[in-house]
Amino acid sequence: MMDSEIRQKKKIKRKKFCQDIYKDRYIYLLLLPSIILIAVFSYAPLPGIRIAFQNYNIYKPEASEWVWFDNFIEIFKYGDCLKAVTNTFYISIVLLFITFPAPIIFALLINEITHTGLKKTVQTISYLPHFLSWISVIGIVTSLYAKSGIVNDFIAMFGGERMLLLAEPGFLVTNVVILNLWKGIGWGSIIFLAAITGVDQALFEAATLDGANRFKQVIYVTIPTIMPTVIIMLIWRLGSLFSDNFELMYGLQNAFVQFEVISTWIYKNGIEGGNYKLSTAFGLLQGVINFIFLFAANQIAKKLTDSSVF
Amino acid sequence: MKKSNSYKVFLFFNFIFMMFIVIVMLFPYLNIIAKSFNDGADTMKGGLTVYPRIFTLENFKTLMKDNSLISAAEVSVLRVITGVVLTLLVQFAAAYALTKNFRGKSIALTLYMIPMFVSAGQMPTYVLFSKMGLLNKFWVYILPSLFSFYNVIIIRTFLQNTIPASLEESAIIDGAGELTVFSKIILPLSKPILATIALWTMVMHWNDYTTTLLYIRKPGLYTLQYKMMELVKESERLQSIIAAARENGEAVDETLLNQMPTSEGITAAQIVLTTLPIICVYPFLQKYFVKGIMAGSIKG
Repeated sequence: MMDSEIRQKKKIKRKKFCQDIYKDRYIYLLLLPSIILIAVFSYAPLPGIRIAFQNYNIYKPEASEWVWFDNFIEIFKYGDCLKAVTNTFYISIVLLFITFPAPIIFALLINEITHTGLKKTVQTISYLPHFLSWISVIGIVTSLYAKSGIVNDFIAMFGGERMLLLAEPGFLVTNVVILNLWKGIGWGSIIFLAAITGVDQALFEAATLDGANRFKQVIYVTIPTIMPTVIIMLIWRLGSLFSDNFELMYGLQNAFVQFEVISTWIYKNGIEGGNYKLSTAFGLLQGVINFIFLFAANQIAKKLTDSSVF
Repeated sequence: MKKSNSYKVFLFFNFIFMMFIVIVMLFPYLNIIAKSFNDGADTMKGGLTVYPRIFTLENFKTLMKDNSLISAAEVSVLRVITGVVLTLLVQFAAAYALTKNFRGKSIALTLYMIPMFVSAGQMPTYVLFSKMGLLNKFWVYILPSLFSFYNVIIIRTFLQNTIPASLEESAIIDGAGELTVFSKIILPLSKPILATIALWTMVMHWNDYTTTLLYIRKPGLYTLQYKMMELVKESERLQSIIAAARENGEAVDETLLNQMPTSEGITAAQIVLTTLPIICVYPFLQKYFVKGIMAGSIKG
């Protein structure tokens, strides 16, 4: 092929490229705002991750020296950090065992309501707490748990001493479970209820003909068919074992209850305390471990069943 | 299907359980409402259930005198309105563009996708915001959350499923311009999805307090949820002081105790004020929210 011919082809290609771009100029215009937004708010902060590997100088960031993994080693020397990690895990595990199955059971029970109006009403009411912010939920229980509040009325009724529940360190985990159940059980059931409604009715008829009672039908028909949904949701949950709920945990801390989790530790030491390097390192560690967890959970699910997230 | 006796017994207990759930879900909120309309000193006696014993508007009147709270309410409302309008513009524009074929589409999709998996974390974001001068600015509430790829995918899926390309084409053949097609066909047909996204965004903006906690130190920019956080902390602090004094066997400061009755009623009133907008719209919201969950799950 001759040189000029290639050049000619290239020219045509370039011209076509410019024409295409010009033709779709409005499309690019529509995309522009979102591209700018992710560039600024998602990509621009990424170089900041280097703080995790530096002895960060707040006043002269350029002059920060590289210390590589020293910050990560320091995290584990800090008793506080380890405590925050174990606390985060502890809360996650407790919540996993209680608040993961709860919405599934709730969905199965709701499905047994035959009266459509009643079913809808129960569902709608159970969604209510989901729409309140965590801090409003804490506000509500602050009032309910107050000395003259309804919970203490109950305690007093059964002869107990009125107490400040929110100032009891031993009550914290129970409280976190209660609040998560209250806020999440109705909302969490939606996805499972949808899966249950999707079960083929012919399967139930067949099961009835085979003499299976309602309970057996649930065990042998309903539950196996919603299993893929359950596993997908479980993967998401396992993927977040190493993360925590800042809004809730920070809101519940007070003079008596100093239960640190990773996010509250990062907030207090980083933004309040100005320890940029350790908080960045800790945050990065959390992010990486979260990702590994999610990835691992996904691989396991892929092996065991046909369902996976990615 | 014939119901066996044991199944009937189960249904009965299931019904009782559902009633229990309904009570558990509603009671706390009704109790707060009762408290907010009840005389503060009377609330202190305890035993208040779902109706005020001594009706009063005093709690709300006291609340309305608090200028910082009025300002917080204004900031919250302004934030919701600005946030919703701009979010719809940005996300709908991106979603509509992504229904078309154009050069570099896969690059754009990849650019959007990566931040779903990789994020810099709190500290680098904080450092960047302070460099950009976003700290203590109203826009820190709006700009960082404007784009959400998750929402964009949902809008795009909706557009693809409800508006066939042939409809657009035939309109153009009939002589309609791109703009006419957009305003007369695309926009009216997209109302349901726009409502859905608007409501999600509204709830997200209204309920958030961490943005204020992280990036705002200026009291004039506090939101209602942030004031709620302050209130929770304050009332916990007050209770803690009393508890500490009791534990040490000290006499409890009478003035502190006297503050309590009023603050409890006002606390309740403030909770009502902070949550009322959400409570009022949520029965209408929930159907849109449920749709969103379904859309998300179908995608995944």
